[in-house]
This record gives sequence, structure tokens and C-alpha cells, in this order.
Amino acid sequence: MNINFFWGIFIGSLHAMVPITITGTGETIGESAGLFNIGLEGILLLSAMTGALGAEAGGALVGLIVGAATGFTIGLVFGLICTYFRGVQLIGGVGINLFSAGMVAFWLIHLGVPGHHAVAEESRMVDISTPYGSLSPLIFVAIALPIIVYFILFRTRLGLKIRAVGENPQAADVAGIKVNLTRLFSTAVGASLTGLAGAYISIDWIGSVTKEISAGRGFIALATVVFSGLNPLLVLLGGFIFGFFDNLAVWIATMPAVQKVVPWQFVAMAPYVVTLLIVAGVIGRVRFPAAMGIPYERE
Amino acid sequence: MVRRESGSNTRVGDVLLEGKGICKDFPGVWKHLILNHIDIDIRAGEIHTLLGENGAGKTVIANCLSGFYSITDGQILVKGKPVTLRSPKDGIQHGIGMVHQELALVKPFTVAQNIALGLSVSDFSYPIQEVRERVKALSDKYKLYVDPDSRVEDLSAGEQQRAEIVKVLYHEPEILILDEPTSLISTDAEHLITALEHMAGMGYAILFITHKIEEALQVGDRITVLRLGKNMGTKDSSRTDKNELVRLMFGEHTPVHLERKPVKSDSIFLEVKDLDAPSTNGEPSLRDISFTIREGEILGFAGISGNGQSELAEVVAGLRKVAVGHVYIGGEDFTNRSPGEIIWAGVAHIPEKRREMGVIEPMTVAENVVLKDVHVAPFSKNSFLNIPQITQHTEDIVAKFGALVSDLWKTETRILSGGNIQRLILSRETWRKPKLIIAVYPTQGLDAKAIEFTWQLFMELREHGTAFLLVSEDLDEIMALSDRIAVMSRGELVNIIDGAQAKREEIGLMIATGSSRQ
Ligand SMILES: Nc1ncnc2c1ncn2[C@@H]1O[C@H](COP(=O)(O)OP(=O)(O)OP(=O)(O)O)[C@@H](O)[C@H]1O
Ligand SMILES: [Mg+2]
Repeated sequence: MNINFFWGIFIGSLHAMVPITITGTGETIGESAGLFNIGLEGILLLSAMTGALGAEAGGALVGLIVGAATGFTIGLVFGLICTYFRGVQLIGGVGINLFSAGMVAFWLIHLGVPGHHAVAEESRMVDISTPYGSLSPLIFVAIALPIIVYFILFRTRLGLKIRAVGENPQAADVAGIKVNLTRLFSTAVGASLTGLAGAYISIDWIGSVTKEISAGRGFIALATVVFSGLNPLLVLLGGFIFGFFDNLAVWIATMPAVQKVVPWQFVAMAPYVVTLLIVAGVIGRVRFPAAMGIPYERE
Repeated sequence: MVRRESGSNTRVGDVLLEGKGICKDFPGVWKHLILNHIDIDIRAGEIHTLLGENGAGKTVIANCLSGFYSITDGQILVKGKPVTLRSPKDGIQHGIGMVHQELALVKPFTVAQNIALGLSVSDFSYPIQEVRERVKALSDKYKLYVDPDSRVEDLSAGEQQRAEIVKVLYHEPEILILDEPTSLISTDAEHLITALEHMAGMGYAILFITHKIEEALQVGDRITVLRLGKNMGTKDSSRTDKNELVRLMFGEHTPVHLERKPVKSDSIFLEVKDLDAPSTNGEPSLRDISFTIREGEILGFAGISGNGQSELAEVVAGLRKVAVGHVYIGGEDFTNRSPGEIIWAGVAHIPEKRREMGVIEPMTVAENVVLKDVHVAPFSKNSFLNIPQITQHTEDIVAKFGALVSDLWKTETRILSGGNIQRLILSRETWRKPKLIIAVYPTQGLDAKAIEFTWQLFMELREHGTAFLLVSEDLDEIMALSDRIAVMSRGELVNIIDGAQAKREEIGLMIATGSSRQ
């Protein structure tokens, strides 16, 4: 084993970290405001698709913007249902997952090879090459974003507003804050970050779209947020842990000695389990916004 | 910093806030008007008290006058000009500040963060330093001390109350509405009232809401009595008296006389032995506590809250772990058993935090009433709810204490007034005639009539053999009910004395010396 091998795993981990961290950071904003979006997986999937189409039409940057816009639109609909229309968040989220799975499956049939759409090479994101391997620019976004969001949530009045509507909407209302608008804004911004992460998967990291492209990462991001106790810095850490084990698992699963004994699917499961165990174990008991999931009504 | 001092044109006696013919209706919940053509005015330099029994509509009118609720009909005038208040923010802009009954503070935030939340500053600023300094200045000016950097959830009820008031004063209102500001701080009320009188002297117009007649007489310059949504009249406090106010509040009413026969039984129902229990949130941990309560005996824990009384009650109810020592219920060791097992041993609990621990707010009244009994006959059979039976039972429970609720299966418990929730809990916890009742501040938020009713009921249950662990800050309540009186200080039991021989001064002294050891 040489040093390059370790760099390979490290850089691979960073790439696998990106979707978890960006998605998780977005969800942290929404959950701080009291909205729990179980539809992250669906947003990742759908925006992987729309992002790829956008990139093919107008280049990688357009792809990222289309992905984020897809997330924003879904987040807006979800947010409207769960605030002004007093809908049940769980059902809204499940709806997003079903809708996206259906849409992507439908589209894939119409795009060349059924069930698999490779993003054209010239439409993919250009990575930064380093002596140890190429790095996606989104890695820097994934590291900077949690830090920025942490600062906003805990060191600005905007952050106070977001957390107040999640914790005690009545107190926020009395303080003159528009509870539903703040909630809507938070969840929509959060969902657009998820959309960005989805586009990253298809036009940068993997380079193709399939029905399984999101591979449960939306749910892992959700779990990471839960165990982080809504701290974006811990979401960053959780994302990296997942990315690391994800890469390690690929390497272990492809070792000939292992392949004979353990089916690769079994090894591929490991990062999910390990991430949950570590994040849950390290962080332990967390406390959630008291008004999580409850629509607000003044009278 | 009141505007008047800087040469503004309002003078003492001017009407600053006026409600004309205010009506409020909650369609779909109540068939009658909750506020029925209320006229009220509040003048610069006066404290106007609003007196009324539980559910009279005091909180609703305060919410209407501050912009939190919309009004169905009528008019609100600020300094003679009609205004439309669409939100509390509108209220603040018109110089109206309201201190809410169930304080409007975000618990995990610090006091300064709570204030910063309501300021009209840029979203990306974080004016904590500035808030901190002004809070210090306001604290000094009005003698309401609060540490801006403490988290609200770490503060005692009294401190939270002060934090809420300072938060409201921060906006320099000219009109201050306080909804039962003394119900959380009965022992510290004097201090607050002095501060309010001081403020009235500075030209504020203050609306002070209470259900305590003595307090209304003591505090108010004028008193308005509200009864079931109607204004029963506004009186000068110098020209009215207790009897008249009682009549306006309740209609005809004869006070009951409580009689206490000696405890009949010698058998001990609750025994707490050498008990230590750890604390949370900086409350004192319980140390070395031993006492017994016999069947049909009331042991009253007097004194200032925060000395371990509520923690002790939680230990006995199974809600808090015991580190050392034992709790025996009916002779059997129940140390660290689950709350469910303790309920089944015949123990009922009237908890301190009625909205958080006493009921499940988003559930309906009927659901809350049968919560603890739902799995047994006659309320359910083969796992199915017996709806007619539950309805009948809920009707009885509600009627017994005269709680004001609308549809039993539709009214969310959240919308009931504080006093009515307390009535519901009292009724639910007493109907089974439990063997032991843990009653923590059982009459908190109740009006005089409901308090008497509660006391009478407790005495009847005592006659029947129910033991009571009573915790109260109200010395009258302790004296009226207790066979023996206990005083705790910083998590330790100071002394237990005989209730029949106890003198007010003696207990007061015990409390004072106990707490002076802090
Ligand atoms: N949001 C609401 N929706 C429906 N009914 C309500 C609502 N708020 C209050 N009510 C009803 O209006 C009536 C008056 O309630 P209010 O809270 O003003 O009483 P109160 O005088 O403040 O009593 P307390 O002394 O118990 O605080 C009650 O019957 C209550 O159930
Ligand atoms: Mg009230």
C-alpha cells in the first residue's frame, strides 16, 4: 500500500461527502424552522435528472442552477402545504419521494438506453486537477456552506428568527416575525441546496442518471441532521464519515479475497450502518425544536 | 424614556387606549360570543385592573387590545384615533406592549436573544451587545433585575416573568398590558407591583389582569369586572369593596366553611426514607429526606418554589430517579418504579406545569380526560373505545368543576383558558378517589370560587381516606388544608410541624430562615 492509495481514498471520501453535507446543511435550516422534509431523497433524484438535462442544454453551471431551482420549487410547494395549508409534513415528504421516483423512471425511458442516461462528457463539470487526483469545486462549497450556515443560524438575527419559529412560533409571532413566511423561506432554501447536491451527483461526481442514483443518500443526510442536533458543523463531519466508509467499502468489496466470501452488496451496506452508529454514538442525545412538525395558527 | 417625558403631549388622565363595543367570536368552536360588546378605557398614569373568574375572557380581550387577535366587531382607539391592529407588531408600533400569561419567550434562547429577535434591525446583524447594555439600564430604571445572558429555561418562574416584562419595556410602550403577571410569582408579587406603581407614576397606562380580588383592590386605581365575556362595570377602587366585587364576578356567592376532623387512621400510606435524588437545571438536588403520610392525612409543603418541592413530588410520582433511599407506597417498595406502576398503586398527580405535563394540548378534551383510564373497562372493551361511555364520563368530569369547554370531541385542549385546564386536571385526578394525591400548586390560576371548591373536595377526599402530598406557595392554602406542614430549603427538609397548632408567623419564619441559609 502506498501513499497514493490513501490520497485516493481521501479524495474519494471528499467527493462522496459532498451530497450528504450539502443536503444535510440545507435540511438543518428547514428543521431549525420546524419543518422536517423526509422527501430529500426524492429531491436529490429529481434534480440529478433535471440537472443533467440542464447541463446538456447549457453547460455544467446551468445544470447546477437548474438542479437548485428544481429543489427550490419542490421546497416551495412542500413549504406552502405545510405552513399556510396546515398539511402533514410526513405525507408531503413521502409525496415528494413518490413523485420524483415516478418522474425519473418515466423520463429515463425516453432518453436513449432505457434506465440509464450517461451525461455527455462535454456537459460535465470540470474538476480541478491536483497531483493526487482531481477535485470537484463543489467540495469547497460543501466545506464552506456548513460554516456559513452555522454562522447565520447562531450569530445573526436571521438565525434567531429561523430558530424561534421552530421552537416557539407564538413567541416569534409576538415578536413581530412572520412565522409561516420564515418557515416557507427556510425549507425552500434548504431544498434548493438539496437540488444542488442532486445536480452534483449526476453532472459532476457519477456522470450518469439512473433510478437508483441517489442511493439512499437523502435519508443518510436526514439521519445525519437528526444526530447532529441541528448543528451544521457536525453535519459536515457526519458527511465525511459517510464518504470515507463509502469509499473504503468499495475498495474492500472489490478485493478478490473478500469477493469470494462476502457478497459486495453486503459490504456496500457498511457505510450506512457505520455512519449511523458513529454519529449516534458520538453525539448522543439531542434536542429538537419544540414546535417541529406542528403547523402554526394564531387564534 | 417614555415619550411623554421628552415633552410629548399626553397628560395624566388622558385616555391612551380604548375599546368600544368589542366583540370576539370563535366560530366553529363556541356558539356564544367570547367577548360581548366590551367597553374599556385605560388612562395615562393609572393602573386599571381587569378582574374576572377563569374563562371570563380576560386573556382574549388583552390579546385583542394588543393586536394578537383580530376583533369580530367594535373599535380600538389609541389616543382617540381608531386603529386596526393586525398583528402584535402593529400593537407595538402604536405603543402597546403586552406581557402574556403563558410567557412568550423562546426557552433555549438567552434573554438578550429573545429581545434581539423582536428588534427592527437588519437580518444579518446581531445586536446582542447593545441589547445587553440597554437591559442593564432598564433593569436599573425599573428595578426589575434580570441577567441578559441567562438562558430563559435556566431561570426561575419569577425571573422569566421579569425577563418578559423587560422584553416588552424595551420597545418603550406607553401602554402596558399584563396578563396575570403575579400568578407565577406569588411570593415575589410585591416587588413587581411596586415597579408597576412606579411606572404608572411616570405616566404609563397599565392594564393589570388578575383573578384575585384582594390584588385588584390593592393594585388598581380603577377596576373593571369581566364575567363570561360581559363587562359587569368599572369601579373606582376607593369606592368599592370586596363584597361588591365578589358579587360582580360570580353573582351571588356564599363562602364555605372548612372543617377538619382529626386524622382517623394510623396506617402509613406513603413513606419516603433517607432519600437522595440528583437535580436538573441548577435546581437543588434532594438530600436526606424522610417523612411519612398517613391515610387521610394532608402533608403540606410550604415555602418558596425552587427549594426541591417539585422535584420531591416528581420522585414520588416516579418521574425522577432516586439515587439513594426508598419510597414505600402502601407498604410496598416503589423506589424507581415506573409512573404507570405508581398510578396503578392508586397515586394521582396534579403536576406543576399544567400545559406541559398535565394535558396533551393538541388532543381533545375527551381524550385528555380518559388518557389514564382508557385501557380499562368501561372506557374500552377488546381494545375498542367505548365512545358513549367516555362521552358520559367526560361530561361528568367537566361539569363537576364547571370547566368551560365546547365540543368534547372537537375542542383541542390548547384553546382552553389556563384556569379551565387546571379544573380539568383536578377533576380528572380526583374522580377515582385515589389513595394518594400529589398536588403541586393545585389551585394555581384558579379563581376564588374554584379554589374553595377544590379545598372542599380535598377535605372530602381526606375524610374518605385519601392521603395528600400538597405543595403550595399560598400560605392560606397550606394553613387551611394541612394536618402537618413541612418546609424545605435547598433540597433538604427543614422541619415538619403540626398544622393545627401552627401559626402563620411561625411558618413564615421557618421559610425565611430556611431560605436565608441560601
Ligand atoms: N383561540 C381560541 N379559540 C377558541 N376559544 C378560545 C380561544 N382562546 C380562548 N378561548 C375561549 O375563550 C374563553 C375565555 O378565555 P380566556 O383565556 O380569555 O379566559 P381568562 O379570563 O383569561 O381565564 P383564566 O383566568 O383561566 O386565564 C374560554 O372559554 C376559552 O376557552
Ligand atoms: Mg387568562
